[in-house]
Amino acid sequence: MPAVARAQAARTWGAPTEAPPSAPSASSPPPEPPPVTLGTPTPGSTAAPHEPATTRAVPAEEGPGGAAPSGTGVGPTPGTHALKYTLEGVEVRGNKSTRARVVLRYVPLHAGDVLDVNDPELELTRYRLLGTGFFRDVQLSLRRGTQRGYAVLVVDVVERNTLIVDGVWLGLSEDVGSNGAARPLTAYGGAAVTETNLAGTGIALGGAFAVADQQLALRVRLADPQFLRTSWLADTELLYNSARDFFGNGDVVVAESAQDFAVAQYQRLGGRVGLGHDLGVSSQVFFDYRLEGINASFPAAASDHYGLDVEPINFMLLPGTSFLSTLRTTLVHDTRDQPFLPTTGHYASAMIEAALTPLGSDYPYAKLVLHGSQWFSLPWGHVLHLEGFAGGVFGSAPLFERFYVGDFSDLLPDRVLDLNFDRRAAPNLLSTDIVEVRYGNYAAKVDAEYRVPVYRGTRSIYGVDVFASFGLYGVCNQEELVDRPRGYKGLATLPVDLTFNAGLRIDTQAGSFVLGVANFIGFVPFRGPQEGAARP
Amino acid sequence: MTRARRWGLALAAAIVALTPLLAQAQSVPPQQPAHPGALALRRANYAWEREGAEGAAADPGRDLLRVSFAYRDVLADPALVKKLSSGLPMVIALRAYVYRDGEVAPVALATRVCRVVYDLWDDVYRVRLSEPERERDQASVLEGVLRLCTEARDLPVVRRGLLAAGQPYFLAAVVEVNPASPEMVEQLRHWLSRPTGSTGIGPTDALFGTFVQLFARQMASSDSTLTFRTQEVVP
Repeated sequence: MPAVARAQAARTWGAPTEAPPSAPSASSPPPEPPPVTLGTPTPGSTAAPHEPATTRAVPAEEGPGGAAPSGTGVGPTPGTHALKYTLEGVEVRGNKSTRARVVLRYVPLHAGDVLDVNDPELELTRYRLLGTGFFRDVQLSLRRGTQRGYAVLVVDVVERNTLIVDGVWLGLSEDVGSNGAARPLTAYGGAAVTETNLAGTGIALGGAFAVADQQLALRVRLADPQFLRTSWLADTELLYNSARDFFGNGDVVVAESAQDFAVAQYQRLGGRVGLGHDLGVSSQVFFDYRLEGINASFPAAASDHYGLDVEPINFMLLPGTSFLSTLRTTLVHDTRDQPFLPTTGHYASAMIEAALTPLGSDYPYAKLVLHGSQWFSLPWGHVLHLEGFAGGVFGSAPLFERFYVGDFSDLLPDRVLDLNFDRRAAPNLLSTDIVEVRYGNYAAKVDAEYRVPVYRGTRSIYGVDVFASFGLYGVCNQEELVDRPRGYKGLATLPVDLTFNAGLRIDTQAGSFVLGVANFIGFVPFRGPQEGAARP
Repeated sequence: MTRARRWGLALAAAIVALTPLLAQAQSVPPQQPAHPGALALRRANYAWEREGAEGAAADPGRDLLRVSFAYRDVLADPALVKKLSSGLPMVIALRAYVYRDGEVAPVALATRVCRVVYDLWDDVYRVRLSEPERERDQASVLEGVLRLCTEARDLPVVRRGLLAAGQPYFLAAVVEVNPASPEMVEQLRHWLSRPTGSTGIGPTDALFGTFVQLFARQMASSDSTLTFRTQEVVP
């Protein structure tokens, strides 16, 4: 069968051959209204003076030559819109760097199939291709095949910039010098970049770095959305971190001498491999295995105030060389209408991770994280976003796997690639014992964000929204629940705090960015008690 | 000054300087007017159709307002005209809301949906035109498609009884080419199943909304969108 034979090759042709039919100019004035041709005009009626226009349309049954609808290759086609053809092949046009076979992966139709022009699968194919992020525009069309009743599906693509900036981090923090003394402002920065369509193969190659004084993090990631031409996504990542972290609230004792903070230093080197699979249009499941070596050094003895008491500092790492080996499963359900400036839909994820102690992990723990977001499009065009987060770590996880207050408070810098840049405690706007907590085994947050779209475009900048957010979060350990720090009473024993932010969310061709003011506001000295109950 | 501190101050200055630059880099977004009366004016022809046999006593409240206007410029982009020949279905949907002058809530809605598929082998466009009174299938050449799908001719809009006598009304129209929301097209089809002239909008109607909802929110959701208003008509 010639159609089948032709369809085996993924053909790519050049520019469309036909000149478009003449069309009204965009700058031409609006067309004159057609005259009134029906009804019995009564007073108040108006009509244009020119002759009634005639339409050259003819009923279907009186079509040219009395020809039947063209589904002749397939059989009778009831109704004028039930057009069906036999698919002779698929052409891919406009692809310069993306290989045609990559495009064809997303086209579920094959030569010899019956193609119903009303099949919703055709429109879904277009959205699937747009969803790859490889193309700025995708248009499907049909052209005649080599014999009556046959058609060729033409996929016209316009490639987009596939080098995406996943993130740029620039900020200021307050950290600690090598001698444990508090330092004023220091800078940190980093970026993550991904080529989502490496050499037109559809494989994503990404890299990221973050840097601060005496800290460095590197990542390299490779992902194949159709691993071995299956429906599984394969993902692998290599990581290196040379990191520091800071403990205490300004008056720790390290090796019997007082200093501002105790500092832990550690290096991580390892990697992760994972597989993902679609569970439906909006859901995916991911499985990841991670193995890394950790080399940590920190003071052999250090203590800090915990409420009115003095307790040894838990650095949440094993001294010297240790290994971490975990298996993680993540479920994601995502119905957002767009990834960065969504207006409707929801995003929900559940992640469970278990350290594989029998397989060499020195850190026995399990971690559970639940996250849900819902976006509401308000009648006046603005967007409301509600978000909830809850997580628990059960066991002895390394510090970078625990919940850090800065990840929940907008007034402190988030960790970037697991690097922690800031020594400050939680802002403590509610004057609670949250100030005693830096890392916790349990965390929860509720947050609301209000967005006002101020710009929508189709070229380099897709959208700009002004946003303001407000939230309540809590981070704690087992101790804060069963052995509360002395010196706090009543509601102050709840380790919770407020957070807020405002600024711009910008979606661009090169990536998406958030410009928020909270990081700067965090340096304004309006915080609550910062040094705990022992240091009023 | 330490090196870290110098870096910090330089970064802070860069971020502070960059923020207003980014804000200035945006072109002013195309804003929709805040009320329907501010839409671009387009001329339409109105006709009141009297119900019943000529000469017979008739209820003036049953008079049906019909309107004719063209919106061929919704296909001003030649790529859209070319797309008519793609062999795949293309939809041109018209919603014409009736507003009382000076008000922002519509009182009635007239719709019209045109669906076009180019028949590759018969070299003809197959058009299904859905209007309040009828749904018809036709085969046509391109010029006929443009007339059928972008000219509302005697479109039944609203009965006189739904309007306040002596008050000026106008139509605010939204024309979309290939609306992204299939639900909206279904709602339009459902709306078309109403008896002719019973186009009054209730607060629970799916196609009801504020002017901003109806005319601004879905601007980017179709291949092409055209909005305009007509001149006033006084019942």
